[in-house]
Amino acid sequence: MIEADAEESSELCQLLGSCAEGGQGLRPIRTSLFKDATAAIAEYSALRPDVVIFGPLAALAATAEDLHQLRAQGGLAPVPILFVMSGGESITASSLQTGCDEILLKPYNPSLVRLKLAALQRLCDFSRSLLQQRNRIRRHHADLLQEQAGARQIFNNLGHESCLGQTDAIRYHLSPRAVLAGDVLAAAYGPGGKLLMLLGDFTGHGLAAAVGAVPLTSIFYSMVPKGFSLSHILRELNTKLHHVLPPDMFCCAVMFEFDPHKRHIRLFNGGMPSACLRHSSGELRLLESRHLPLGVLDTVSIEESIEHISVEDGDHLYLWSDGVHEARNLRGELFGEQRLLDILAAPVPEGQRFDHILSSVSHFCADQHDDLSLVEVALDNAAPWRGSAWTLDDEPAEKVPRLGDWSINFTLGPEELRDADPLPLLHSVLAQVPGAASFRDPLTIVLGELFRNALEHGLLRLDSSLKGTDSGFAEYYRQLHRGQRELREGWIRIALRCRDRGGRGLLEVVVEDSGHGLPERARGGNAYSGRGLPLLRAICRKVQLQPGSSRVRAVLNWGETAAAGRRTRTPAAH
Amino acid sequence: MTVSEHTSARVSSHLSENGDALTIRVTGNFDFNLHRDFQRAYQNISPSPKHYCIDLSETRHLDSAALGMLLLLRDHCLSEEPEPGQVTVELLNANEHVGTILTISNFDQIFTIR
Repeated sequence: MIEADAEESSELCQLLGSCAEGGQGLRPIRTSLFKDATAAIAEYSALRPDVVIFGPLAALAATAEDLHQLRAQGGLAPVPILFVMSGGESITASSLQTGCDEILLKPYNPSLVRLKLAALQRLCDFSRSLLQQRNRIRRHHADLLQEQAGARQIFNNLGHESCLGQTDAIRYHLSPRAVLAGDVLAAAYGPGGKLLMLLGDFTGHGLAAAVGAVPLTSIFYSMVPKGFSLSHILRELNTKLHHVLPPDMFCCAVMFEFDPHKRHIRLFNGGMPSACLRHSSGELRLLESRHLPLGVLDTVSIEESIEHISVEDGDHLYLWSDGVHEARNLRGELFGEQRLLDILAAPVPEGQRFDHILSSVSHFCADQHDDLSLVEVALDNAAPWRGSAWTLDDEPAEKVPRLGDWSINFTLGPEELRDADPLPLLHSVLAQVPGAASFRDPLTIVLGELFRNALEHGLLRLDSSLKGTDSGFAEYYRQLHRGQRELREGWIRIALRCRDRGGRGLLEVVVEDSGHGLPERARGGNAYSGRGLPLLRAICRKVQLQPGSSRVRAVLNWGETAAAGRRTRTPAAH
Repeated sequence: MTVSEHTSARVSSHLSENGDALTIRVTGNFDFNLHRDFQRAYQNISPSPKHYCIDLSETRHLDSAALGMLLLLRDHCLSEEPEPGQVTVELLNANEHVGTILTISNFDQIFTIR
């Protein structure tokens, strides 16, 4: 209370005391008295008043500046300022210009004063609780940002196994909000130099969407280097996601496997916007979603939905999330797929298309939106070797102190062969054998080729001339999977024998099957009529196969593997 | 952003007289905001209907959260059905945009879309 006159101030004190006792929810009132505004301002922050009352004389002397200073002291918390005025005084506009919040009239009417004070108290309580809520929200928001930064850090670390940074062939843009928007990108080279990549989009936003990326990336990065096939990895991902995600959450994903030796792509799209293969002519081929997203059903038919694509020189593969389609401009128009395809088809100097797409999207939506993920893979350069060296593996020969003399024999029966993927098992065994791990890539290629030959042509007697066209390719794989499912007898035997010749050595791979032997060349091309044989010949010192025989023998020179890897590309590419 | 839109007005449901068929109609944007109302539309109906029709004729857009809600509905039906194959869920009258979203997601593999 600000009032210099003792009589006025005691009357007012008494009034306030009686008001507080009179109910209406008013809390007890404690008053501090000041002679003038300056004295009150000096004590303000120590007192933290709920209301400031200027007595009748002080009110006459009050200036706008006094009130301004009082309010500044109060900060955001609402502290009403009341003036006492005599009923006789005419309340003119100028006397109100100082800016008080409420007037108490003399002579006092206690009930009216009580009513006003109670109303002001409710207003102040309300404002104060608003302020508290605002502060709480601020704190929560700061905590949330902190948690998100932590989550982002975890996801960055999860991506450390990826090969995204190791090659110029892959360019990618993930929204800075990607983690919490549920977008995830994973890429790694499998043994033998196959590139596997996955772009996924979890439904929903926030931490729940981000959490799903953890099992996804951990499965991806543990299975790819072990040589598991595309469909095997996808089945595993689907099962895991179906198991861990709540029933209304799932993951749209496009995943592909690029074999740089055979210049061939196998691509799966479950619920993502079409991926796009761009030929150097500008012609586009859309690879649309042909499967439910991952995690929706517990059992899936991945194989039937995989597309097989032969790659030509100069081809680029583009993947994107629906953030690209759904970018909007200021007028609310969608960027849309067609606009994106037009940009893709348009002639842009090689190497600049990726940036061109990104800048077109951000220009379109006036930089309002950055929720898009976009990946470009220049397939010509996507192999893990560049020029003359494998970039991902160490030179093997120097690192191997001894190779040892050993041999391993496997026989796979129909049960094992029906379930597709015996190669990762072989790899995991070989990883324990001295020296074999460093020999991994060429060995993978040779084993893969010979095993598939034995299965597809030896046991199942498929006709590889089917693979001449893309639709034939699909048919070929349909027959393969039907054949595998229906396999009731037969076997494939794999024998590896290593001989150490003082730091250099020979690895002999023999693959034999229970079939009737390779068909004669004359009967429309044999198993190796495609790219397989040149590839094998490039890697191996010797490849022995004969029409009519179901036994193939390949010999690898140990210690010259880096050179072998180097040589493979030229003959395989054509 | 609209803060207080009455979402319940955007989900309406109708049970046929014999209690066999439940039709749920969603108006406007079918998104996360409708979560509760959409669930309320099919839960606690006894005896459970045999046919569920989701009428999308008034649905302008459908996001991935809505796809998730449809999956929840499907789970609900599968858990209620006395024998496999007795309960059907149909998605009806989707506009072109919504139809594209359903096609990309390949939801036709688990729902009847007409």
